[in-house]
Amino acid sequence: MIQLFHLSKKFGPNIALNSIDLRIGKGEFVFITGPSGAGKTTLLRLIFGAEKPATGHILINAINLNRISRSNLDLLRRKIGFVFQDFKLLPNKTVFENVAIALEVTGIRTKIVKRKTHQTLRRVGLAEKEKAYPLSLSGGEQQRVAIARAIVKDPLILLADEPTGNLDPDLTREIMSLFKGIHERGTTVVIATHSRELLEGTQCRTIVLNRGNISGDTW
Amino acid sequence: MVIGLRFYFLRQALLNMRRNLTVHILSLGTIVACLLILGSFLLLFVNLNNWLGQWGSALSMSIYLKDGTSAYKRDKIDAFIRALPGARIRRFISKEEAMHDLKAALGEEAGFLERLAHNPLPASYEVIFENAGADEIYPEKIKEQLLALDGIEDVQHSTQWLKRLEGFLDVVRLMGYVIGGLLCLCIVFIVTNTIKLTIYSRRDEIEILKLVGATDWFVKLPFLLEGMIQGILGGGMAIVSLFLSYLVFSSKEIYLIGPAPLEFVFLPVEYMVLAFSLSMVLGIIGSFIAIGRFI
Repeated sequence: MIQLFHLSKKFGPNIALNSIDLRIGKGEFVFITGPSGAGKTTLLRLIFGAEKPATGHILINAINLNRISRSNLDLLRRKIGFVFQDFKLLPNKTVFENVAIALEVTGIRTKIVKRKTHQTLRRVGLAEKEKAYPLSLSGGEQQRVAIARAIVKDPLILLADEPTGNLDPDLTREIMSLFKGIHERGTTVVIATHSRELLEGTQCRTIVLNRGNISGDTW
Repeated sequence: MVIGLRFYFLRQALLNMRRNLTVHILSLGTIVACLLILGSFLLLFVNLNNWLGQWGSALSMSIYLKDGTSAYKRDKIDAFIRALPGARIRRFISKEEAMHDLKAALGEEAGFLERLAHNPLPASYEVIFENAGADEIYPEKIKEQLLALDGIEDVQHSTQWLKRLEGFLDVVRLMGYVIGGLLCLCIVFIVTNTIKLTIYSRRDEIEILKLVGATDWFVKLPFLLEGMIQGILGGGMAIVSLFLSYLVFSSKEIYLIGPAPLEFVFLPVEYMVLAFSLSMVLGIIGSFIAIGRFI
């Protein structure tokens, strides 16, 4: 599903990722962990095609992101859900509109957009908040809206960057159970986190990044 | 394209306009003002052309007789005029009638005419050549023939000042091209900046649209529509405003040359369609430049 070959990324003189080789199979649930500045977010952004690597190759479903056209990258992104650390919700759009936007860009019929958005918001427990605006929601609820937007298009891959970073333990468990549910439906889930609590006792594959290098992989 | 998606683009364009209402109203006002200036030139040009066409198709000639021309000579002149192709004597104005007309024209100021020892005004013929252009009548040649006749003092014809008006029309046309070109650039500049502002106000949404897989055109199309709507509204409002101004002007009788008031006409339909389409195209060009530079 995701293959990285000798992947490096630099920001000026700073090396964010240093010749990473990695394979994540279809339907896996993977944590990427490491201290702040280890390169977790950069790795997710490279997989998402939001950054270009300095060297190396990224293959998503056998498609090389180095050789993909801009329009095909747009189409590929429809198969990848991304939950951002800062949620990236639009404050002047309702919860429903924030989620529906991910379907509207695909050009499917309005009727289907509405049906799928309602279903997804029910799945994340926000059916009652459809007409609310993001700023009137709690942190946990905003996170769930961001997750709903990422999963509404039934992505093959779900990438989440510190999805529980600002949440209390109860909300963290709630969000993680959501991710488990998404994974059980066949989606490959990759979560970047520096939270030790989240990883304690987990049976999932955990990749440890340190200063741009893979220093551990439980695979 | 799915019908729902077309409505999505239109809805987004209208939403953008509503969110940036003040900017759009100011921009629309400027576009309308620019188009009004352009339309006024067009209207002036159309009417000058129309008047020239009317005057040109009915050549008029004033033939002034020498004082003391005998009835015999006058009959000869009369017969000569009637034999000219397309010529019709509209009126013979005797010296007394000429003085009477002048007094009527001067109104209260005519008192000084009473002090004249004798009537200095000549008797004259007012002659009209119908369909002058079509019959290929050469006024200068006729004038020469008439002046060769005994008893004729002077001949004046309408094409003499028509030529001057044609020259003026050329100046108006040239000014129209220059000012029109500048105004078109102005409209493109205004639309580009308005769309730039709406793009700026939606930059977060554009970023998210790209992140969830929107194609470039999916993001750009609402802005293109926005520019087009601005052009359509601007064009429509300018034509309506121009028509209202035309109604005010055309309700007044304005005399420029001759006894008949000037007949005002509004822009023909094809000119209105042209002005409207131009406005729409300028709107699209403006937004096209903006999305090319800022998205």
